[in-house]
Amino acid sequence: MRRADAMLLLCVAAYGAYAFAAGSSYTLRVFSVAGIYALAAIGYQFIFGQAGALSLSQGVFMGVGAYASGILALRFGLGFDAALPFSVGVPVLLALAVAVPVLHLRTHYFALATLIISQMVLLVAVEWQGLTGGANGIGGIGGITILGMPIRAGWPLAATVWVCVALGAALSAWLMRGRAGHAYAVLREHPAVAGAIGLDGGRMRLAAFVLSAAFAGFAGSLYVHVIRVISPDVLGFPVMVTLLTIVMIGGRLGVAGAVAGAVLVIELPEWFRPLREYTLLVYGAILLLVVVAAPGGLVGALRLLLPDRAPPAPPALAASPALAELSGLAALSGASGLLLEIDGLARHFGGVRALGGVSLGLRAGEVLGLIGPNGSGKTTLVNCVTGLVAPDAGRVRFAGADITGLRADRVAHAGIARTFQTVALVDDMTVLDSVAIARPRTDFATARAQAMTLLDRLGVADIAQRRCGGLAYGLRRRVEIARALALQPRLLLLDEPAAGLNETEQADLSRRLRGLAADGAALLVIEHNMAFLAPLADRMACLDAGVLIAQGTPAEVQGDARVIEAYLGRPAAVSRPA
Amino acid sequence: MKRIAACLLLTAAASAAHAASVTLPVLVPLTGFLAVEGASQRNGAILALSTPPAGVTAKYDVSDTGVSPEVAVNALERAAGDKPIAVVAPMLGTQMLAMLPVAMEQKIPLLTISGTAAITRQGNPYIFRFFPDDATTKIAQVRFALENKGVKKPAVIYQTTAYGQSGHAEIVNALKKAGIVPVYEEALDVAVKDMAPVLAKARAAGADSLIVHLHGGPSALLLKAAAASGLGLPIIAGSGLSQPSTINLLEPAELAGVCAETSSSPVSAESPAMQGFLDAYRRKFNADPDGFALAQYDGTMMALEAVAKGATTPAALTQALSSGSYAGLAMTYKSNGRGDMAHSAVIICYDGKSRIPKVVAHYTNAAAD
Repeated sequence: MRRADAMLLLCVAAYGAYAFAAGSSYTLRVFSVAGIYALAAIGYQFIFGQAGALSLSQGVFMGVGAYASGILALRFGLGFDAALPFSVGVPVLLALAVAVPVLHLRTHYFALATLIISQMVLLVAVEWQGLTGGANGIGGIGGITILGMPIRAGWPLAATVWVCVALGAALSAWLMRGRAGHAYAVLREHPAVAGAIGLDGGRMRLAAFVLSAAFAGFAGSLYVHVIRVISPDVLGFPVMVTLLTIVMIGGRLGVAGAVAGAVLVIELPEWFRPLREYTLLVYGAILLLVVVAAPGGLVGALRLLLPDRAPPAPPALAASPALAELSGLAALSGASGLLLEIDGLARHFGGVRALGGVSLGLRAGEVLGLIGPNGSGKTTLVNCVTGLVAPDAGRVRFAGADITGLRADRVAHAGIARTFQTVALVDDMTVLDSVAIARPRTDFATARAQAMTLLDRLGVADIAQRRCGGLAYGLRRRVEIARALALQPRLLLLDEPAAGLNETEQADLSRRLRGLAADGAALLVIEHNMAFLAPLADRMACLDAGVLIAQGTPAEVQGDARVIEAYLGRPAAVSRPA
Repeated sequence: MKRIAACLLLTAAASAAHAASVTLPVLVPLTGFLAVEGASQRNGAILALSTPPAGVTAKYDVSDTGVSPEVAVNALERAAGDKPIAVVAPMLGTQMLAMLPVAMEQKIPLLTISGTAAITRQGNPYIFRFFPDDATTKIAQVRFALENKGVKKPAVIYQTTAYGQSGHAEIVNALKKAGIVPVYEEALDVAVKDMAPVLAKARAAGADSLIVHLHGGPSALLLKAAAASGLGLPIIAGSGLSQPSTINLLEPAELAGVCAETSSSPVSAESPAMQGFLDAYRRKFNADPDGFALAQYDGTMMALEAVAKGATTPAALTQALSSGSYAGLAMTYKSNGRGDMAHSAVIICYDGKSRIPKVVAHYTNAAAD
């Protein structure tokens, strides 16, 4: 656990000790309610924090859990524990049903869709009076019972709630340890990269959404047996806003943030109650101050103040597997002898033609330089090949198999890796983890050992423990290439790898890329820097306005009149007087 | 000399027996959609607590319960720490339902004006409701519509909130008992501002009247739309229309002929005692009281009178409220065994010239008829 997180949890534990020592039913009740919100917020961190999707349905999942448990208690006499599978299961089923139509949506579209679904559920609760009691709700729900034993109000109730919080926190931490946590970091920070390194973003978002719903349902079940009434209030937007505030104040990541945020957000209005009519004003001002001063939440601010002493030591390089053993970059071609066959690829964005029927081929062990002026379609071509963008027409075959329109993560698993025009690394991850996360189908310890080999290959093994956010541009480029290599690709697509590098770094990178080709990998390199590209590439191709206008040896392409014209423009006709 | 000293001692002892200092916190919704009604409830309670019967000193703190059950429960738990003799509890039914188990555990009487029927049906001996429940007020509303306005084909327009759904059920039930089925029913969200469509649909359905059960603001919007469209149908509204804050949104002409049910109409000052209350309220709060304020005043005063008579513990007060009766300003209050203390409702009507309504009908124990 990071030092800042431990510090926050210690603070909460200290306050909890005070609440238990004070022993007043009021203090313990508020602390219990804070615990319930903490549990729901821990769940909310899966979808909002880890997956980075602003869901506005967490409050409704909590409410549905509360309704399930409350109705089962009233209609069938089921206790808290007996109803728990339903109070968790019903929100999970709702999440699965909701996921189909909305989970593929991005940013505010996803937020709006989840908000609309929340309103629909609220309407159902209000209108289905026979089951839910309508807007009046239903009172008379019993307290928490476990194995038939009633849990008394006061410290037994608070202890029960906080044991549940501890279990939830432990489960969350366990689920997000190692590879999973790093994978979600990539998905959250750079969704396009996630697909490019073989992560199934859709499945990860679904898992996060379902986990959020499960935790919310659990929290709702506790809530209804602590408040002992179900009413549409628990489905209302204020509950959602409270949960959102908790994770914004506490931090979107790390259970310590959810727990500390919940205690602060729920307890603060009570602490300021003596201020009477100024209570809400002061409360709002404090929350605003935290949001402005600590945009990463309490966890984020404390992590800056209390940085971890040192990341875990990387595996010894000597213990890492040899590259040949690791990479297995065996040459593999299709029936045509080409590893990659692009045939008539076309893509339009609205009225703009990005690709107008491009055909290209690439053999194993070959380096193909792809040039063209800005906007000529180079990156779109790479995006179409790697599954980031679906082509309008044309086919892409890789090692003889048709991969046209295949999802990005499946393309990556097929053996195609890429880098991006703008280096896309997660600032808070170490170099080693950034590379290890791309190692497919290996346990994370093994993946880290293998990543060391790749870092060594790229000459950056000495910075394995450093976080990516503090690296110089050239180093970031190499780390990104190492990450691409971690997929054991047979084809590597590099988008302007020399951009921002000095001449020494360019020469070094060129040598290393040549080495990769010598190992059997095919490389497609987009680059404007001819001094870098010409000596590196076996062949070059030039795009202009989405059309292939030249290909051949570097010298042939560089001397091609159409290429020169594409870069420099047509010479103006000069008319001389007769 | 000895005799004088003995007399003084006896007098002091007698004074001590009657003098009582009690804590009676006021927990009401002062923010959220019930802020206006909650302020009336608070004012009624404060007026009583600041003018307690002789020999009684009442300490009180006002806490905002918002509209969330958990905030109300927290407020009650907090108040319980001060060992109150009773608590003025919020008028929001869902908050009351959440507070009842805590009141039971802490053995604290709750004095409320919530109209939600369910709160006195939980078998909880600590709930005392000083506002007629929906059954009482809605039966009065329907009876007045049928008996005085000759309604045969009403349209029922209500709110989707707890207040609306609870009242709607009682209205439809009362109509059904009279053999009448509404020709049109519509539930409106509190956010609906344009009332013209619902009025047009009611008219198209052949309604001969509107029986309305909306909150204050929506009631005013509906009456404005009705006046603007020249609807010309009798309108018998709910208690939302009796609040001065609602009436101030309307011109007197827009109220012409409109009637409404309420627990009481203090601004109508039917009696000298009511006039006294009206004057005191206006002096203290610079506002007009509504039925909520008067009901909470009466309820709080009934508790303080019981304290003055020696019920100085929560248990004694609970017993006194359960078994005694109290002639308040609005009506006489007595528990029906479940904590329902108020059993009367009135119908007020506006003449189109003034914002002060006239009480045109009293209904007592209408629900039991």
